[in-house]
Amino acid sequence: MSRADKLREAFAQSHGAHWHPTDAYSRAVWLGVGLVVCGMFLHQVELVLFGVPLVLSVLLTHKPRGVPKVSVKPVPRGAGAGVVHTVAHLDGADAEIAVVRLPGGMRAVPAHSPDLPVRIRRDAWGPGVDLRLDHLFAGPDGMHVYGPVVGAEHVRTILPPVEHHPSGPLPPRPAGLVGIHRSPRVGDSTELRDIRAFQPGDRLRRIDWRVTTRTGTVHVRERHAEADAEVVLALDTRSDVGTDVAQWSSPHHGATTRPDGSLDRAVRRAASMAAGYLRQGDRVGLVDLSRPQLNVRPGVGRRHLMRIRTQLVVCVQAAGWSSRVALRKLPHGCVVVLLSPFLDDEIAELAVQTRKNGHVVLAVNTLPLPLRPDADTPWGEVAAEMIAAEHRLRLRRMAEHGVAVTREC
Amino acid sequence: MLMRLAIVLAALPVALVLHLESESIAPLLVVTALTVVTVLMPGSAGAALLIGYAALAMAFGDGHPLRLGVLVLIPALHLVHVTAALAAVVPVKTKIEPAALKAPARRFAIVQAIAFVVAAFAAVLPSGPNTGLAEVLGLGALTVVIGVVALRI
Repeated sequence: MSRADKLREAFAQSHGAHWHPTDAYSRAVWLGVGLVVCGMFLHQVELVLFGVPLVLSVLLTHKPRGVPKVSVKPVPRGAGAGVVHTVAHLDGADAEIAVVRLPGGMRAVPAHSPDLPVRIRRDAWGPGVDLRLDHLFAGPDGMHVYGPVVGAEHVRTILPPVEHHPSGPLPPRPAGLVGIHRSPRVGDSTELRDIRAFQPGDRLRRIDWRVTTRTGTVHVRERHAEADAEVVLALDTRSDVGTDVAQWSSPHHGATTRPDGSLDRAVRRAASMAAGYLRQGDRVGLVDLSRPQLNVRPGVGRRHLMRIRTQLVVCVQAAGWSSRVALRKLPHGCVVVLLSPFLDDEIAELAVQTRKNGHVVLAVNTLPLPLRPDADTPWGEVAAEMIAAEHRLRLRRMAEHGVAVTREC
Repeated sequence: MLMRLAIVLAALPVALVLHLESESIAPLLVVTALTVVTVLMPGSAGAALLIGYAALAMAFGDGHPLRLGVLVLIPALHLVHVTAALAAVVPVKTKIEPAALKAPARRFAIVQAIAFVVAAFAAVLPSGPNTGLAEVLGLGALTVVIGVVALRI
């Protein structure tokens, strides 16, 4: 074994998940015995009396055994943002004191204390670590310790919240007859479409007896079909900007997105719109403009809403600048909801082109306004005004080409 | 922070007794420096140096072996040892529940009771040139103690 290996082994022996003596133990043994021996041989009673407590503290303690553990009761699945409560269970074995890093700070408690309440704050949606209980157990008088041990990470993914979002009428698409929109086709809804003479193949229960009696020939009532619409939520994940222009080029730490930034707004609106349209039976799909591999095909139902919300988190995790944006393989006759801060011409071009291809395009501006200029530079105010002016012009151009534009998200 | 404060409180009587026993300010400065080292690095040799220095200073000072200063330092030096040991395993910004200190406090009391019984025994032992029997008994007891400690190591 080389010298480096010996040093490494010695270092590992003094740390980690096993019981090992501390400096206090060495101090009590060597200083205690040394004082007593010196006192005896030098005929100094004081030295003996000062050494006796140290020796006794070694004799009255023992090296702890067993494997102390800290476990956490899992947080129920589906618990969203806000404050979540759970408990940490301490199994102290032979330990006397447990030092645990809880979300509120470090706490030293008796090793055999009852379950510790743990309060977890979930401030933002997205992936994150709920809890990591780093811990250390100390034996009697801190002469032996177990640890410090890095706790297991309890990770979670909070899906974007769904806010109530009024969903307006959409162009019907006769491919699926499950929605609430009135279709030009004949169907089985309650809304009357026409009354006409009976034809072979008509169902008898559709006969309008009152008109039949009055006219003398058999007439039937035609009703509208109920059709669903197809909505494609197109998310621009290339940039995540807030109101403060000075912060645009600096990364944001601590959350998946900037709080109330353009990407946060886009994801929240996308989740809410998806929930609103899926609730009324429409088909909703998701498109990441810069990463087509993350797209979600249009679908219906509650599970599809979960799929879209989960994929929104995935899109945001993969967010970053991309040189190209693309909207390919759009379903025929679908409504495209484009969520973007519209900071470049390419995205505006894409919206106009999609409109020219015959789709209804709704451009939802996610740029937080008004912009706050960079105070550190004399050009900050001018730059912010230029950005805002270009942005206004871009939105106006899109509106002129038939794109429905919402200025505030 | 509580355990660091406890180290300072335990070192206060040590500094006071050594200062009163000495005619210079040097012991006070030494104890203060070693206390600062112990508070900042409880896992270092600061506590051992502090206990060792105080013990030697008292042993080779003038006065009766069981004078008041010695009797004050017996619990004070033990308290320095215990608080430094606990401070070394508890991070600075830790909220310490009083219940966690109950067992160390109980053990401290037991150890001190035994230490003062030994001090009382030392007080009644005969002193002078004819102490052969006491020395033999003491050496025997020391051999037993060293043997037990060695077996525990």
